[in-house]
Amino acid sequence: MRLLTLFLTLNLAHAATHSDYYNREEIPLPKGEVMEISSIALMPEKQIAVATRRGDVWICSGAYDDDLSKVSWKKLTAGLHEPLGMFYKDGWLFLSQRPEFSRIKDSSGNGIADTFETINADWGINGDYHEYAFGSTPDKNGDVWIALCLTGSASARSDWRGWCVRITPDGKMIPTCSGIRSPGGIGFNAQGDAFYTDNQGLWNGSSSLKWLKPGSFQGNPTGNKYHKLADLPAPPQPADPSRILAERLKDPRFIPPAVIFPHGKVGQSPTGIACDQSGGKFGPWEKQLYVGEQTHSQVQRVCLEMVNGIYQGAVFHFLEGFEAGLIPIRFDDEAGIIFAGGSNRGWGSRGKKPFTFERVRWTGKTPFEILTMTANHDGFTLNFTEPVDPTSAGNPASYSMEAWTYILQHTYGSPEVDQATPKITSATISPDNKSVQLKIEGLVRGHVHHLESIGVRSAKGEPLLHQDAYYTLNEIPN
Amino acid sequence: MIHRLFLLLAVASPLSAQDGEQLYTLYCSACHGADGKGATGGAFPPLAKSPWLKGDGQRAIKVVLNGLEGPIQVLGKDYNLAMPPQGALLPDDQLAAILTYVRSAWGNNESAITPNLVKSVRAASTDRTKPWTPEEILMEHPLPLEVTALKNITSSVFSGSWTELPDFSTLKPDSVEEEQFGIISAEQSPKEVHFAIVWEGQFIANAPPASTKKAGAPYTFALDADDSARVFIDGELLVEVTGIGPMGSKRAKTEEIWLTQGSYPIRIEYLQVNGKKGISLGWKSGRKNQNKTWNWLSEIKGDSGPIWPSIPIKPTAEHTAMYRNFIAGTTPRAIGFGFPGGVNLAYSADRLTTELIWTGPFMDGGHHWYQRGQGNEPPAGKNVIKLSNSPALPAGAQFKGYKLDDAGNPSFSAMIGDSLLTDAWLPAPNGLTRKFSLSGQGSDPVDILITDLLHPQPAGTNLYDLANNLLLQLEGVNLQTKNSKSFISLTPGQSATLTYTWKK
Repeated sequence: MRLLTLFLTLNLAHAATHSDYYNREEIPLPKGEVMEISSIALMPEKQIAVATRRGDVWICSGAYDDDLSKVSWKKLTAGLHEPLGMFYKDGWLFLSQRPEFSRIKDSSGNGIADTFETINADWGINGDYHEYAFGSTPDKNGDVWIALCLTGSASARSDWRGWCVRITPDGKMIPTCSGIRSPGGIGFNAQGDAFYTDNQGLWNGSSSLKWLKPGSFQGNPTGNKYHKLADLPAPPQPADPSRILAERLKDPRFIPPAVIFPHGKVGQSPTGIACDQSGGKFGPWEKQLYVGEQTHSQVQRVCLEMVNGIYQGAVFHFLEGFEAGLIPIRFDDEAGIIFAGGSNRGWGSRGKKPFTFERVRWTGKTPFEILTMTANHDGFTLNFTEPVDPTSAGNPASYSMEAWTYILQHTYGSPEVDQATPKITSATISPDNKSVQLKIEGLVRGHVHHLESIGVRSAKGEPLLHQDAYYTLNEIPN
Repeated sequence: MIHRLFLLLAVASPLSAQDGEQLYTLYCSACHGADGKGATGGAFPPLAKSPWLKGDGQRAIKVVLNGLEGPIQVLGKDYNLAMPPQGALLPDDQLAAILTYVRSAWGNNESAITPNLVKSVRAASTDRTKPWTPEEILMEHPLPLEVTALKNITSSVFSGSWTELPDFSTLKPDSVEEEQFGIISAEQSPKEVHFAIVWEGQFIANAPPASTKKAGAPYTFALDADDSARVFIDGELLVEVTGIGPMGSKRAKTEEIWLTQGSYPIRIEYLQVNGKKGISLGWKSGRKNQNKTWNWLSEIKGDSGPIWPSIPIKPTAEHTAMYRNFIAGTTPRAIGFGFPGGVNLAYSADRLTTELIWTGPFMDGGHHWYQRGQGNEPPAGKNVIKLSNSPALPAGAQFKGYKLDDAGNPSFSAMIGDSLLTDAWLPAPNGLTRKFSLSGQGSDPVDILITDLLHPQPAGTNLYDLANNLLLQLEGVNLQTKNSKSFISLTPGQSATLTYTWKK
């Protein structure tokens, strides 16, 4: 315990002098306006559109400039129905509103939207506040993916609640995945596969990032009945209580969460998803995902890999201290900037402001971090952002691991259960000193594996900025 | 403006049960606030000095285990949120540690909660699958009575068949009782009808002076009664409810008074004639229009209005206002338009027609823009007329959206087979004009529902009295009625204009 305290103290002192990797800045909002930002769309000529929970859409100019005091705003429209997902294409802003997927534009050129086209409204709503609709940007086929929240926590009283649907460019709705509870955001990885975040609750032991494989079941059977509306096969009905691994082995349509964000340890309410394809403009995290967090006002970092046809990977703490609960995040690949917005109306957050719009830019300095964590048949490989000190990083005692899973059950959330303590038996450094292969006895298929790398030092003698990694080991490679 | 971004520090030790404060910070503080006052300036219920934490610990244990959903009042303020259940997440020892911390922090001074108590409460509530409603939990664990600003109150009960408050100086009471909790109630008489009660005692005024130049501070009193009541402070009549009738009507009154800190004689007179009985009396520090917490001196709490602020949505002189949200009286896919001049409509994108029209104020956004915004909000104006209540176009018709002209006047579109119907609305003197145009190939007429709720009475050439002083004038088309539904019928290429006018 004394040793631990010492490390923590060192780390604190260290972090205080190395807190300049990323600059978070508040983007000034129009004075007197309530800007509970629910959607962000990147537009041509470095303009940004934001939508608010109250239904306004504003266009922001100057959000890329060094001097944010010159930011200007123009109101495009007001009174839309809580858009949670917006993108720009071919002169239109496309919006996932509660009741419909639509597109709007200013045809007359007077700065005020005058054309509001409904593209699809084939899902149900009944007036319950919980029936949110989170929409993506278009995928490689031009389809937009919309995750439809359940009615309240425990029921699906309107058509297709608890499903993800795709809206094709010609306005057709394709029911695509079942088993959704309460989404917070939706997006794609670098391969173009769709993911969403789902919040802890009924049939959801902990929040997670989930892969929306077409035809899949995501674990919550509340909305299963709607398969009948489209003559689809009935989704799986999991046993209660059970485990995700046990249930998905019974039915391969049950796709497990790609990365679990252990409740409380890595946020409490994950939201927007953005993929870094900037080629290094935001640091070395190419093709990784950034995931917003409402309750803890953070952005987490996720690296994914596919093993035996299933996505899995690790989540790391990344950015924190945002001014309100984050909902949408957008990453500009050209500029290498994260734009983040949010609100804490109805759900509390660590950030104390009622709403916020912020950007994060990289200073060009890279922190000493675990860049990627990937699974092997006998352990994990860690790639680091810079060469490690071989003595500390090659010492198995510099690492520790614990593993657990959650109960799959109809009640709200789950404790961490089935705890295991995998043993790190060796740590082998690569010739370039930038990666370490950990041999581990006692990996547990299906469990979250929490790796702490407290003793690891960089070649310069620095500890990791974030020593915790949480890897969801759905599959152990052969 | 620029913040250095502080990256997260590793939390190296798993939290054990002793760390009640740390566990609270991790799981609870985002909503309830690190200071226990409710996050975001009190948008969430406070735990500091909350009566919900007082006394028997089981109330709080049950709420944390299974959650709580619905309207509650804490320290005089209303909330309507959902506390998610934490029972599956938190083991007995951690939950006990959190509640022990909460019950002793921020001025709370309640006993510790043991893991064993949590364990037994959990075991006894295994069959509960849903969050508690406020009614359920308070039935099992009532809140302790709070001390009110009324002191040394006596109630004198009189019998008699008066129709207005009598001169009590000539009357002899049936009984006189002390009311030690400082709460008044019509139940303090055993009778149901034909009685009166007089309460006498002191009102303790505690508000600090409104400014350095003033000795006193404003107070607002709210009185309502079934049937009559009046309140005297310091011998002066302050507020009076006259006549016979139910509570919750326009007879309810609020009045202001300036008081310096101190104790004032108060006298409350109440008369029950017949029908139901009841009295509510509340006060807040501040002027009538100030958004302050009401303190109730009566068993019945008065109607202190909606818990959300009023945020009127208004058109400008040049442009309509739009509001897409859940509007009471029509379907969930509602689209409201408020026109300059005080006429309004709500179009149903489910039923493909305007279902509501009204005059006066358009909508109030406060309901949907406060907390989670649950529920339907009615039009803000009076005189709401519901035109129809069923699909207006043939089955299979699809909503295509709407266009706005430069003034924001909407033209709604729907596809009916290969035909496109536009339904454009403009403000008109004392009403609204509506122009239908059907374009497309073919010659099959399309029936368009105009009303299935009103019964148009002919009032001239193509002129109908719809109801409530509302006239409908048709041009270019006839109104047809079958099975008490009124339609117009258009063929592709045809247009029609309908004008709705409120008679002055």
